[in-house]
Amino acid sequence: MEALQDVTTGDRAVIEAAVRPEQVSYSLDIVGVSKQFRRNTVVRAGYTTVKSSLLGLFLPRKRAPRRVTRAIRDLTMRIPKGASVGVIGKNGSGKSTLLKLISGIYKPDQGTIRVNGRVAALIELGAGFHPDFSGRENLYLGGVMHGLSRTEIDQRFEEIVSFAELEDVIDDPVRTYSSGMFMRLGFSLAIHTDPEVLLVDEVLAVGDAAFVGKCKEKLAELRRQQRTLLLVTHDLESVERWCDEVLWLEQGEVRDRGEPRRVIDHYRQFIEKGEELELMGEAEAQGHAAASDFSLQSEQLESSRWGSREIEVTGVRLVDHRAEGRLVFHPDDAAEVQVDYCVREDVADVVFGIAINRSDGLVAHGSNTDIERISIGRLGKRGHIRYRIKRLGLSEGLYTIDVAVHRQDGYPYDYHKAAVSFKVRSALNFVGYTVPEHSWSFDVAEY
Amino acid sequence: MWQNIKELYRYRSLIAALVQRHLSMRYRGSLLGFLWTLLNPLCLMLVYTVVFRYYIRFNQVENYTIFLFCGLLPWLWITSALTEGVGSVVASGHLITKSMFPAQVLPAVAVLTTLINFLLSLPILFLFMLATGMPFKLTLLALPGLIALQFVFLFGMVLALSSLNVHYRDIQHLVSNILTFLFFLCPIVYPASSVPERFRFSLTLNPFALITQSYHMLILEGVLPPLSSAIYLSAWAVLCVVLGGMIYTHYRESFAELL
Repeated sequence: MEALQDVTTGDRAVIEAAVRPEQVSYSLDIVGVSKQFRRNTVVRAGYTTVKSSLLGLFLPRKRAPRRVTRAIRDLTMRIPKGASVGVIGKNGSGKSTLLKLISGIYKPDQGTIRVNGRVAALIELGAGFHPDFSGRENLYLGGVMHGLSRTEIDQRFEEIVSFAELEDVIDDPVRTYSSGMFMRLGFSLAIHTDPEVLLVDEVLAVGDAAFVGKCKEKLAELRRQQRTLLLVTHDLESVERWCDEVLWLEQGEVRDRGEPRRVIDHYRQFIEKGEELELMGEAEAQGHAAASDFSLQSEQLESSRWGSREIEVTGVRLVDHRAEGRLVFHPDDAAEVQVDYCVREDVADVVFGIAINRSDGLVAHGSNTDIERISIGRLGKRGHIRYRIKRLGLSEGLYTIDVAVHRQDGYPYDYHKAAVSFKVRSALNFVGYTVPEHSWSFDVAEY
Repeated sequence: MWQNIKELYRYRSLIAALVQRHLSMRYRGSLLGFLWTLLNPLCLMLVYTVVFRYYIRFNQVENYTIFLFCGLLPWLWITSALTEGVGSVVASGHLITKSMFPAQVLPAVAVLTTLINFLLSLPILFLFMLATGMPFKLTLLALPGLIALQFVFLFGMVLALSSLNVHYRDIQHLVSNILTFLFFLCPIVYPASSVPERFRFSLTLNPFALITQSYHMLILEGVLPPLSSAIYLSAWAVLCVVLGGMIYTHYRESFAELL
């Protein structure tokens, strides 16, 4: 009991679901809301036992510092009626907690949340369905749970079933439904409860394409009817297309907020930076950073390096157009692979090669000095090779670069598999792996 | 507290639907279906009769079978309500974490479902009495009052236990053990009158014993329980509901995080 009080100190939150005529212009009014979780609720099974709390009474108390995770920190926002707001952020940034707070599943530790009108939370579709009951029975039960009366469900029944396209199986037990059918029934029910505020948590990520299209249409219709929409998703494109405003949460705090395009760009930049740091960390951990000296750790690289070493590749770097090391690129970016070599024995037959592979093994590009008939002059004792790429032209994904020096017949002097990895980030989801420079134009032949 | 009761009324159709679902769930897929509601107490009655009447040769009571049945039915309601009720919130965790679900509905559903089972098995008792030619006493008219009292008592108790059980999962194991205890501490297989005078207080103080004893009085003996025990039992019922409501309200906010 004591522990619980600690968690809920501060003003008890008030959630008022009633429509208040003087405030109808706002659908959601969130003021200074904070929510924290005790760490041990996550670490242990979540509940204490009578034994442990009894023991706690008698044993000298070793007060461990109270570990709390602050899921939402002092959040204040007002969402006007009819607005569509997208909530973006990394996993664990508090997006779902926010939705659960608004829908009333969680109570805030501090602050108030006012919701005007009925809330439909599309958090987990069909959460209340019972597998042994038929679709019909479940609709009635679920409808009541959503706050509909029996007659209201009667009136909407046909519409719900036909939207879900389940007319033929509505009297079968839902355990016989496919997961898609289950989801359709859940979505259809939630959307037909006449909600003022819709909370959508990533649910559009499931289901077949045709139904997702239908759901989106339905959401668009509700939007036109001035319903308020709160969309949580990692799909930045839909956020940009759907929302009037975007809220970017980072560790429970509002990092940025406002016009979708701007906030999403800001968020993307942030993500890329994070990924770059992460890739560099990985590279360092694996022993080959973007600019690494292979000779120093050649032993540990045996599995990804082979050859007789008459000529050695001692370093590989990936840099951008300003010659700065970089690991995240856009399709339109220029890049340069810099290779350091060192000649141990004079050999005449030398080919330098480079290959870019996507993480699934697909060779995106490969070339060598033999294919391109580049004549290599005197190599000297040591030196650098630069492989300039004017425009990467790759679609989004994770790539690695192989660098090799070998004989014309393929006999390897030094072969480095995945010497450098990098990521391509794109705002557009192209199909395929290449993005040639292109444009669209329309010539109308007849008006 | 009052708020909770109003909420319960608001969700009456949900409660009704859930009770219906529980009842039809219970025997779905079984051949005898609803008959099990009647067969369960009958089997128990058979076993106890054989053991106590014939093996132990307990013969202080006339019509021992009916006497046994009369105490066993309300007792079975108590055990089924408590054992099903105590885990009801935890068992429906998915509803509480995924949707805004009025959790106090769950204990109510558990007590109501078991009440209906109890009511459905009462007619067998009356049939037995008819068959053996036992007279129906006028005090039977007070039976609904006793049932109502027991209902309130059980609801409060289940509300408290199911809320506590979210934090302390030991409660559900504790409950089933305590119930085994209580079964022998209540006048069910023996009449209250066979308990020595100096231990009688344990029956009057124990609300469960008071309940089963009152059934004996109303149905078999044709005597109204003394006003003092009626008041005592009502006090227990009110205490349980108030305490249960307080415990529920105290813990409600943390349900979603712990389930």
